[in-house]
Amino acid sequence: MSGICRTRLAEERKQWRKDHPFGFYAKPAKAPDGSMNLMEWEVGIPGKSKTAWEGGLFKLVMNFPEDYPSKPPKCKFSPPLFHPNVYPSGTVCLSILDEEKSWKPAITIKQILLGIQDLLDNPNVNDPAQSDAYTMFKNDKAAYERRIKQQARENIPK
Amino acid sequence: MIDGTQDEDDDTASEMDMDNYADDFKVAAKTKRKPYDVEYESLSQRSVEKLMQRDVEHICGIFGVEADTANLLLRHTKWNKEKLIENYMDNATAVLVAAGVTLPDAPTPSRTHSIASSSQSQSAARRPATRSKLLGLGSSSKSSAKSSSPPKPISRTPSKKADEAFVCQICFNDAPGLQTLALDCEHAFCTECWLDYATSKIRDESEHTVRCMAEGCALVAPDTFLRDILLGSVPATGEQQAREKTWQRLQELFVRHFVACNSHLKFCPYPSCTNTVSCPSAASKSSLITVVPTVSCGARGIGVQDSAASMSSSQQFVNGLGLKGKEHKFCFGCQVESDHRPVICSVARMWLKKCRDDSETANWIKSNTKECSQCQSTIEKNGGCNHMTCKKCKHEFCWVCMGPWSEHGTAWYSCNRYDEKTGVDARDAQSKSRASLERYLHYYNRWANHEQSAKLALDLYAKTEKKMEEMQITSALTWIEVQFMKKAVEEVDKCRMTLKWTYAMAYYLYRGNEKDLFEDNQRDLEKAVEDLSELLESPIEADNIPALRQQVTNKTVYVQKRNEIVLEDTAVGFLDGRWRWNVSVDGFDDPEDQ
Repeated sequence: MSGICRTRLAEERKQWRKDHPFGFYAKPAKAPDGSMNLMEWEVGIPGKSKTAWEGGLFKLVMNFPEDYPSKPPKCKFSPPLFHPNVYPSGTVCLSILDEEKSWKPAITIKQILLGIQDLLDNPNVNDPAQSDAYTMFKNDKAAYERRIKQQARENIPK
Repeated sequence: MIDGTQDEDDDTASEMDMDNYADDFKVAAKTKRKPYDVEYESLSQRSVEKLMQRDVEHICGIFGVEADTANLLLRHTKWNKEKLIENYMDNATAVLVAAGVTLPDAPTPSRTHSIASSSQSQSAARRPATRSKLLGLGSSSKSSAKSSSPPKPISRTPSKKADEAFVCQICFNDAPGLQTLALDCEHAFCTECWLDYATSKIRDESEHTVRCMAEGCALVAPDTFLRDILLGSVPATGEQQAREKTWQRLQELFVRHFVACNSHLKFCPYPSCTNTVSCPSAASKSSLITVVPTVSCGARGIGVQDSAASMSSSQQFVNGLGLKGKEHKFCFGCQVESDHRPVICSVARMWLKKCRDDSETANWIKSNTKECSQCQSTIEKNGGCNHMTCKKCKHEFCWVCMGPWSEHGTAWYSCNRYDEKTGVDARDAQSKSRASLERYLHYYNRWANHEQSAKLALDLYAKTEKKMEEMQITSALTWIEVQFMKKAVEEVDKCRMTLKWTYAMAYYLYRGNEKDLFEDNQRDLEKAVEDLSELLESPIEADNIPALRQQVTNKTVYVQKRNEIVLEDTAVGFLDGRWRWNVSVDGFDDPEDQ
């Protein structure tokens, strides 16, 4: 699979540069010596307009395993995000990112990022990953909304 | 194999022409099943595959579908044929979609129907072929399958449009003439990607369901499709073996899934053993309150497959010594321990849990601590005077008499209030908890002792083997004639396991005549076992060998008999509902009501 892994990521990179959704960015990380590391991508996901997430650009790191695309990449918000489906470590809990659930090798990076963007405003209450955001979302929607708006303000791109 | 282990040894014995010596150990005719032996059957992977095949054929016949479809349907409904038939008759389309056989929006009703009717006529001709396909790697199946459908992949058209440049959406390979495959959904990917994906699912995730690689597509790759991926094209040298291994692994996963779906089947838990045991009488949870289903898959040793079948019985006899040849014995009802007869699963589990919680520290606590007479916290006194203040409840008391400190007045450092009433009460409460601990330790120490001795059995095996060699040298006895030693060691080991668990049972048994009788049997067995153990350790001299042999043989028979009495009596007791417990056990009357 290692053969496929790098070819596929190079192609993903090409496709992304050709066309990508508005407001997003995604690029392979730079190693200290300046070389490109295809196995780790730095991406930014904008909050959807007309939601509490509007205006924020949320940074995320994607780590691709050697057997990608048989296995999904690990997606981690950095810094960790206040969201019911984001683990305290920042790792995103989403069915398409789980090889035992809906991950399929044909899912592209673009689809993953759009999926995560959609998750921001549509948390899945059946799969809580952190208790703070989950309890607030369950018990006090107004306070939750305020907290999200504040988080979006803190993440306005410079 | 129904009678378990004992027959095997007898068969071996008679086969080996030791008629005169084999008689020594024959206690009773083995024709009747012992009440403590549960009826079971050992199945090889192949026999389980045959069972699966029977279900598949049944479904094929009723629904008029191909074996591939029947397999997917059955796996989807966890091999519950009745439920599948009911649901299928109710709404065939919904079931087919849910099982990943057809697409949700496909023009299913008419299409499935036409498939059904067209394949019905062929099914008779096809079935034998599919059977061999499923059972093994038989290449013969391929040709027969080909005759009825276009070449590979069987009944699925590779969406190869030669004029249109194809780019695999997974590896972005766009080489002309790239081999591609697709399920009915027509999401085509190159064979290389399919192979990688299927391999990773099967080998890394132990998953037998491989779905289409397109996002959101729920179609499941049928067996023939997977077989084509894995074994179809000619791979590079060296890869062939890996692919065949993956295919074999897939067959094993299918069998494991089938076994897991059937409560009367259990996979042998020994590493790399692929046998299955069928034990219908222990399939339900409620049956486990009356039987202890100790079973054996028939194989021996670790890492040797089909050893029981391939090894000659004489080899088996030799390898019976030591861990290498240990029989694959396990409890059908629980994972607690391979053989916890005579006590039933739930009580054995309860006992082990108690041991884990208590025994390690109990001894230390007993000798080093006291409990606060007010809040029962355990307190260790590590220095200072006898005026104690409980850290938890702030109760002040005297360490010596355990009475409240307020009654001590000014008698610091020395307690002259030994007979104070409160002090007596406090000591009473404490001695009660000590007594219960004492009682537990009584049983635990004996239990642990037998466990320890059973572990030492391995050493004893080695020692015995040496002794047997010695005997062959020092006397005119032949190898066959000194087998009585091995038999004796095996018997001791077996009985120690029984004894060990009788202590767990006795700890929970309700006090009464039944328990007294139980403990009498236990005592008799224990005494007999210790006598025999001692005899086995005794020095061997050339001139006392015939006498020793006589003695050991006699004792072995006696021990065997005593063991049978214990096992039989407890087993019958469970069937009669004779045993009562001093704690509440699922399926039994509560001790409070008695």
